[in-house]
Amino acid sequence: MSFMYLLDAFQTIFSDVSSLLFIVAGVTAGIVVGCMPGLTATMGCALLIPFTFSLPPIQGLLMLMGIFTGGIYGGSISAILIRTPGTPAAAATLLDGYPLSMRGEAGKAIGVGTVASFVGGTIGALIMAFMAPQIAQFGLKFGPPEFFALAIFGLSMIISISGESLLKGAIAALVGLLLTTIGFDPLSGVPRFAFGNDNLLGGITFIPALIGLFGFAQVFRNIEKMEIVPQVRSKVGKILPSWAEIRGLIPTMAKSGGLGAFTGSVPGLGCDVAAFVAYGEAKRTAKEPEKFGKGALEGIAAPEAANNGATGGAMIPMLTLGVPGDAVTAVLLGALTIHGFQPGPLLFRDHLEIVYPIFAGMILCQVALLGIGLSGARLFSKLINIDARVLTPVIFLLCIVGSYSMRFSFFDVGLALLIGVVAYFMGQAKFPVSPILLALILGPMAEQNMRRSMMLSQDDPSIFVTRPISAAFLALAVLMTVVSYRKFKKMRAIEADLKAKADSEGAV
Amino acid sequence: MKKLILAMAAALTFSSTASADFPEKDLTLIVPWSAGGGTDTIARALVKNAEQHIGVNVNVVNKTGGQGVVGMGATKLARPDGYTVGLITFGLSTYKLMGLSDMTYRDFDLLQLLNQSSAALSVVEGSKWGSLEDVMTYAKANPGQVTLGHTGAGAAWHLSAAALGVVHGVDFNFIPFDGGAPTRSALLGGHVDLAATGIDEVKQLSEAGQVNVLAANALTRHPAFPNVPTLEEAGYKVDAPVLDWRGLALPKNVPADRVAFLEQGFKKMFDDPEFRQYCEDVGLILVYEDSDGFEDFLANMEKVLEPTLDAVGLLK
Repeated sequence: MSFMYLLDAFQTIFSDVSSLLFIVAGVTAGIVVGCMPGLTATMGCALLIPFTFSLPPIQGLLMLMGIFTGGIYGGSISAILIRTPGTPAAAATLLDGYPLSMRGEAGKAIGVGTVASFVGGTIGALIMAFMAPQIAQFGLKFGPPEFFALAIFGLSMIISISGESLLKGAIAALVGLLLTTIGFDPLSGVPRFAFGNDNLLGGITFIPALIGLFGFAQVFRNIEKMEIVPQVRSKVGKILPSWAEIRGLIPTMAKSGGLGAFTGSVPGLGCDVAAFVAYGEAKRTAKEPEKFGKGALEGIAAPEAANNGATGGAMIPMLTLGVPGDAVTAVLLGALTIHGFQPGPLLFRDHLEIVYPIFAGMILCQVALLGIGLSGARLFSKLINIDARVLTPVIFLLCIVGSYSMRFSFFDVGLALLIGVVAYFMGQAKFPVSPILLALILGPMAEQNMRRSMMLSQDDPSIFVTRPISAAFLALAVLMTVVSYRKFKKMRAIEADLKAKADSEGAV
Repeated sequence: MKKLILAMAAALTFSSTASADFPEKDLTLIVPWSAGGGTDTIARALVKNAEQHIGVNVNVVNKTGGQGVVGMGATKLARPDGYTVGLITFGLSTYKLMGLSDMTYRDFDLLQLLNQSSAALSVVEGSKWGSLEDVMTYAKANPGQVTLGHTGAGAAWHLSAAALGVVHGVDFNFIPFDGGAPTRSALLGGHVDLAATGIDEVKQLSEAGQVNVLAANALTRHPAFPNVPTLEEAGYKVDAPVLDWRGLALPKNVPADRVAFLEQGFKKMFDDPEFRQYCEDVGLILVYEDSDGFEDFLANMEKVLEPTLDAVGLLK
């Protein structure tokens, strides 16, 4: 039944060439917006909405979905090339993308990211098209205790992204958690650690923090190395990943895409959380976890498949319940409303003529993304050949513009610079910065929902273990920590072994 | 020939004194809430046909953060040349009372009121309560047992529900969420017994039969909810309802002729049939007050809020 509607919708879109053009234009614009640090998919969509007023609703929406899809994907390009995620969702991609790019294999990294985004995005779109109402009902089962447990599960990924020292990773995560307590507390209605500064009342804004942690810190590192380290060059003939490499990644992509779609469909979780969850899961089940963080292809495929899978997921609660899954879908919800379609349960009863083109459009966006991404990978990967003395000031400028443009605030530029300096010195002292980012994403979710749960249960902590979903996630978090810790120990032992061997050989 | 030049000169002088040179460029509308949210969407719908009405476009700029303090502060400090207009919202009535900021409506030249929204108390369909009386009777007998979700401490809907509890001696277990969307999902998922939201925020869920709106904290019934009683009709009168509001304001000291131009210009956008239709579709009640009427409304709102904030322990 729904399959027939979907075919009809494809026919509608294909019968009008301009619809296809809007998809391609949207995806291209999204990629551009996404790979600029500080310009997010959310902003791209918000800025485009007035323009879509004058378009027929379906075309307007196709273009917005194109921006959404392209934006989430585009963030990975800057993450891979300049170690600065263009969008929060790409933060996990840089862990393996940048090392690969430093080996001169940026094209391969982008290629894998593109294919993974396509696979994940398509899975997300299909899940959305065929299972939306059921998934939405499951998403509603998430109340405060479930969100708390989920946040804790997410935080247990810290071990996976800690790098060499667990202790240093944990310290970084705690610093991040502490930072999230700054600002107005919506639960008690009082400002915390704002010191009377209106700019801090809203807390540490996420985008400037992201730009500081990765963008500015990387600029400082580049300046330091500029004269001593030889320029990295993209290897000729290694521009795109081979079919064999892609084939080996298909299970990871499929699993991560499904995981992403599910994560995205829970209101309040977004593409960023999905990417980290998938990265942690891929590393946990990997045959060679020690390669993660050093340019493992799975480390790119998993977060990229998950964050694009989450785009379809995030549309589910928006369309079926009128509750946006994340910030971008909140904007899309506004766009639908302006065009006279109120998302929610009635949309599926009264406006199938818009629902199915949305599903079909989402699938077509993935196809457009694959084509544009693969043909662009060659071009993008050449960026790395630009002289660091030219590229670094350009990145610096992009970082300043990016941190300013989120809310047109010079305070945010200063904040990003300050965080950048701190992150630079943390890097010198071998503290990983990704755990800070993870804590910034999950901290408020963990804190607020723990307090909310305790209010609901009237201070009885058993609420976290007597509800099945919450108990399951807490158990998973414990399992994840134990397994990852063991793997971590084993990896360190192997590394120490290798090092000892190398030392003794060196002595001979 | 001389006459012609004189006439042209006269025409030029005349046109400039009649301030036809304002506006020469696009205006900026500062929205203190993020792009894509409810307030932002309304702002963008309002200025959509600006060029038709005032000859230039109005660009929406979102300056967010600090519960709206940052954006409204930016309007307050903007150059008073008439090119920057600010959207102001309910928070401005509470900042000073809650100790978040010293800013009040007195720091602005008010342009006009745009809308007022009233709070709705809803239960999920299939709840054991069918009327406000059922809820209040149960809550009175079981103090602190009825969980009531709202959109954030100090937000209009929290205070509106708190006033109901205070006036009628009922002790709810208030559960604050962060905005309207999570509050609605918590209600639908059965994580809270009751939800206090803006009445327009539950319009679609109510039409789809997924939630049951028990009462609205308003003086009159909402046209989109003819069957939902006001608190007074339901038998639980609260003297003056806490209303959410949105309006337009300028920084102080904008030249009077420009203020007059903007007053008329925004009134025309406000009366644009397309904007009206959009607001009707989403269940938003448009209420116009000119600058004087807006000021009276805000002065009165502070009087209503002070005892309410005190009752929930948020008064500084």
